[in-house]
Amino acid sequence: MTPKRRAPARIEFPNDLEIVLTREFDAPIQLVFDVLTKPEHLRKTLAPYGEEVKTCSIDLRVGGDYHFVFVTDDGREMSFRGTFLEVEPPTRTVETWLFDGWPGVEAVETVELREAGGVTKLTHRLAFRDQAGRDHMTKYDGLEANYDNVEDLLRSLLDPKETVSG
Amino acid sequence: MPISEYDWSVARSSTTSDVFNAIADGHRREVLDALIAGEKAVGEIVNDLSMSQPQVSKHLRVLSEVGLVTCRAEGRRRLYRLEPARLRPLREWLAAYEQAWNARMDRVDDYLKELQQQGGGSDT
Repeated sequence: MTPKRRAPARIEFPNDLEIVLTREFDAPIQLVFDVLTKPEHLRKTLAPYGEEVKTCSIDLRVGGDYHFVFVTDDGREMSFRGTFLEVEPPTRTVETWLFDGWPGVEAVETVELREAGGVTKLTHRLAFRDQAGRDHMTKYDGLEANYDNVEDLLRSLLDPKETVSG
Repeated sequence: MPISEYDWSVARSSTTSDVFNAIADGHRREVLDALIAGEKAVGEIVNDLSMSQPQVSKHLRVLSEVGLVTCRAEGRRRLYRLEPARLRPLREWLAAYEQAWNARMDRVDDYLKELQQQGGGSDT
């Protein structure tokens, strides 16, 4: 068996709450991009555990929408939708990410591909924003806050291996 | 098995997503930051940060609503403290999300191999 090239989730807190996941594939960049963006391919890989895919529509252009729905074994519909903000084949797409099960949570997803030596590396970012936070962000423009301490705290809490000493 | 795989979507509305929203804002993380050292009154937090009292109060209210911050009265003062344990649902969500994402990427990986074997590499 070929070893799985995977990387653990990494969380970043620059301005928004951001989850970064990376993965490498032994395939050319164009093929990886097609598999991630063409409905005929997406249908086969969309559902993490092979669930039935009910909806798979994707209008790959800036301003175009996507909508994916798959049905879990216990009958729940998992529905994801959003609008493309940037489309740069085969290296990058940026899209809004709305999960119907999480009303009120808005995220921006960025998928970046880079090929080196026949290996394509995918970087997936999910940045959660807060509407209220963004609204008054403009008011505090230019205010450079130092989040180092709370970052360390959150990191250690999110990583069960580390412990916080008080 | 399939149920636990989707814990990240079930444990959402009132707990995880709210905690997510609460800490998705940089200024609220700043307020949390100010409380790491220990309990503080609103005035002390205002002194620590470049934020107005109404702003700090607003953030404390949001943080209190999701339980990341609790408040107790001491005389006429109201003291706020951090409740880091409340971040636990976030950690659990993250672990389940990561698992689902990796499962999906495994499928992409297998599918890419399948396509490359079929196509022999140079099909147009």
